[in-house]
Amino acid sequence: MKKETILPETRDTAFRDLILKTPVGEKIPTCMQCGICAGSCPVSHEMDYTPRQLVRMVQLGLKHEVLNSNTIWICTTCFSCSVRCPRGIRPTELMETLKPIAIAEGIKNKNSKFDNIFSDVVKKNGRASEFLLISKYSLSEPGMIKQAPFGLSLMSRGKLPLMPDKMEDVRELDAIFKTGEEKQEKKPESGTKENAETKAEAGEKNEGKAADTGGEAEK
Amino acid sequence: MTEKELPLTGETTPENEIPPKKENGNVQPKKIGVYLCRCGGNIGDVVDLQAVADSLKTDKNLIVNIQDYLCSSQGQERIKNDIEKGRIDRVVIGSCSPKLHLETFRSMAKKAGINPNLLEITNIREQASWVHDKAGIDAKVKGLIKGAVARIGSIEPLVPLEKKLVDRTLVVGGGIAGITTALEMADNHEVILIEKAPFLGGHMIGLSKTFPTLDCSQCILTPKMVAVHNHPNITLLTQTEVADVKGSPGDYTITLKHSPRYVDIKKCISCGACARKCPTGAIFLPFAQAVPQAYMIDMSKCKQCGACVKVCPRDAINLEAKEETSTISVGAVAIATGFEPLDLSVIEEYNYPAPNLLTAIEFEEMLSAKSKTGMRLQKADGSFPNRVAFVLCAGSRDFTGRGKKYCSKVCCIYSQKQAQLVKKMKGDAEAWIFYIDMRSAGRRFEEFYHHTQEKGVNYVRGKIAEIIPKPDGTLMVQYEDTNLGMKGREVFDMVVLCPALVPSAGTKELADKLGVPLGDDGFVEEKHVKLDPVNTLNQSAFAAGCVLGPKDIHDSVTEGISAAHKASQFLGKGIILIPPEKPMILECNGCGDCVKACPYNALNLEGGKAVLSPLACTGCGICVPACPIKGIEIRNYTRNQLKAQLKAILGEAPGVVVFLDPYAYAAADIAGVNRKQYSSLVRFVSVPSIHILDADVVNAAFEYGATGVMLIEGTTDEKLTSRSDELYKRLKKETRKHKKPLRYSHIETAQYEKMTDLLNVFATQAGTKAEKRSKKEKGDSSETAEE
Repeated sequence: MKKETILPETRDTAFRDLILKTPVGEKIPTCMQCGICAGSCPVSHEMDYTPRQLVRMVQLGLKHEVLNSNTIWICTTCFSCSVRCPRGIRPTELMETLKPIAIAEGIKNKNSKFDNIFSDVVKKNGRASEFLLISKYSLSEPGMIKQAPFGLSLMSRGKLPLMPDKMEDVRELDAIFKTGEEKQEKKPESGTKENAETKAEAGEKNEGKAADTGGEAEK
Repeated sequence: MTEKELPLTGETTPENEIPPKKENGNVQPKKIGVYLCRCGGNIGDVVDLQAVADSLKTDKNLIVNIQDYLCSSQGQERIKNDIEKGRIDRVVIGSCSPKLHLETFRSMAKKAGINPNLLEITNIREQASWVHDKAGIDAKVKGLIKGAVARIGSIEPLVPLEKKLVDRTLVVGGGIAGITTALEMADNHEVILIEKAPFLGGHMIGLSKTFPTLDCSQCILTPKMVAVHNHPNITLLTQTEVADVKGSPGDYTITLKHSPRYVDIKKCISCGACARKCPTGAIFLPFAQAVPQAYMIDMSKCKQCGACVKVCPRDAINLEAKEETSTISVGAVAIATGFEPLDLSVIEEYNYPAPNLLTAIEFEEMLSAKSKTGMRLQKADGSFPNRVAFVLCAGSRDFTGRGKKYCSKVCCIYSQKQAQLVKKMKGDAEAWIFYIDMRSAGRRFEEFYHHTQEKGVNYVRGKIAEIIPKPDGTLMVQYEDTNLGMKGREVFDMVVLCPALVPSAGTKELADKLGVPLGDDGFVEEKHVKLDPVNTLNQSAFAAGCVLGPKDIHDSVTEGISAAHKASQFLGKGIILIPPEKPMILECNGCGDCVKACPYNALNLEGGKAVLSPLACTGCGICVPACPIKGIEIRNYTRNQLKAQLKAILGEAPGVVVFLDPYAYAAADIAGVNRKQYSSLVRFVSVPSIHILDADVVNAAFEYGATGVMLIEGTTDEKLTSRSDELYKRLKKETRKHKKPLRYSHIETAQYEKMTDLLNVFATQAGTKAEKRSKKEKGDSSETAEE
């Protein structure tokens, strides 16, 4: 991949500030680049930028590199990085924050295929179906043919039921998705802001609690 | 006429005003100089000092002056001049914390010819401009300064009491810092050095070579240990800990606890006859160079056969020995209790402990005087490790609560030393250092780094993510080489973890007994971080070495010398000045309630009246509310003085009154230094102890417009804290009529974050309550109007 020079014009400070204001953004400026996230990550060798580098790029506001990286799509959300980060940064949640922004920006990434198929299956059935997910994903990803024997042995043991488990009334779920989408259209960036607000509220509530217990003649 | 007229408060003196002690030749009315410091921009940029000064102009007895740096000679000269010319005879300073410059200003005031007590500082930096933004801060500062003016007018010019010091020092901890402190003091003062372990030397005797010069640790330490042992002025007590502390600074009675060694140190000549006879290896010399040179018994191995007792030519062994206690009398205490490694099992992904997975301290010990392997580096199976990894920052620089926030300072350099040792022992062995930032600040350290690189040590910039012990005793590590952005995996024969260094066990207990506050990291809090680095808030307690934070031998020695100097200076005065703010007994019916209440036996009934022994009194003020006829007041903290101060503070704007004892005051100062923001409605009132308060004062605060009152106590003295609950309940009951919130909280100096959180919540709650109340009142009045 061709790497750009970091220049004032390639740094998007508005993008950086947007991410820093999200619930996971608060601690991002404190990253000391120790690399425990990338060292812990089971798939960082597949990423074009390691989680550590992604955090660094967010610090700088390298929007193009961040949103076009396959890192956010390759992440398996195993949370090892989030658990081990000594600065309390939560890279897994950062990926989850960046994905919808990349989608909203219309950025296509071949690694987003799995996420898309997964959410399609859920939208249609109201439940995840491993069989549908794997078969659909295999059709679009020829390399998956190598996994076929494994899939068959799973099926023979009844671990991959063919019939998807459906929820009773999928239309209710449709309505939820629709409401969400409408809200998204009305207020772009609303997702992140709302989260921040709810977090702040929750924080206040917690503080209140602490005070209730802490105030009365405690030692 | 006496000083009963206190026009400054604008309050007519009530009938029961206690006439303060009269001072001869005092000029009336009192003229007060108010000096406000901009502190560069530290205060001036946030507080509109001109507006504060203008608000004081109505008072004709005041001179108000604003300076850029009041502590400068120019600033001090101005105050001195005003006093000498007779323009003022009392001083209020609005500046940084009194912790920093009170003594500077008071000695200036003394030179200028007034009683130093007649100068007080109002803290408008650490407790105002550093912790609030501009909104509401001017009203707060105006109130605080007016409160101080109201107070200073009625201050008695008291002279501190003198008490004789005990010229003897207890040094706690026999590591390099304690050894240095003891040796540096012993030529001029008697020293008792106690050590928890059975031998001197602390962690240093367990080190191999010492950086950056690679001289051997025992070679430089042993002569010092022997010097301690032989010094006529040093009493060395091993296996000894502090059990109890009684008395006051300058005159402590300390109970020591001695765990049994079963061998009399004075009689043992280390002939070794006992060890040769012992069937279980229970009796041993800790190591060849150990000081004191005496055998000891590990009772977990001893079968009580008595073979050693029979064979000992000096009759030195007593298998029946029990734990003993003794008491000593000392004037000063030097705390040198050092560090211990963080328990690394909290870092789950490192899988410590496991074979060949060591801490750096275990690695050192293997190559030190205390070595159990004949000073050979070896794996669990006895072979030499050909590939050794050093993992830095194990549990350090961690802000999640799993490890410690701070950098342990010494690991970067000692791990490189250890890597050099590996390479020296076997030229083709591999040594890898996994680091985040290579910190080699300080003389000779960058050269040491460079030299280690030249020796062929492999440096990887990246924190180890996982250590997986393999069945064959090797260890697989996984990491990211952050310079390359590539993940890596290596297998090593030995992995050395460089743990965060934490204060040794028992530090808190000892510090609490001595009234020495700790920081939130658990290390002893210095009196001033930069300017008083080995003094503590207890004027007779000093600290040196790693109990003040992780550091190397050089710095521990420097601090040992400093602590010795400071302790000698303290003891050299021969006397200790005791604050004169003691109870005065104005009226007494001989009921004896105060005598019963006093936790320090400082009050006695003599001829049917209570009499105070001022030297035993700590000025806690428990006797004040205890007196049923309100016959006791603390000098300079009388009910009326406090009320006048509160009235002036709250006259400017309503707020939340928070009474702080000196330890809580220190916490507020630390919050300031750390710029922890909190509500500017908070109005601190400093009191010697919260126990001097009674419902009179708290009710007055509510009447003058306090939306809430909070008592924050920071002392760890159980004699006081055990009564706080009762105090709170009593005050709550007796101030109920105001229906305003009252809180008590125990917050030690280290817990400044808890303090600011609590202040914020309390200020908000008090505000909400006040709002509801005023709405209700308005509602009531409009209803009546409608009717």
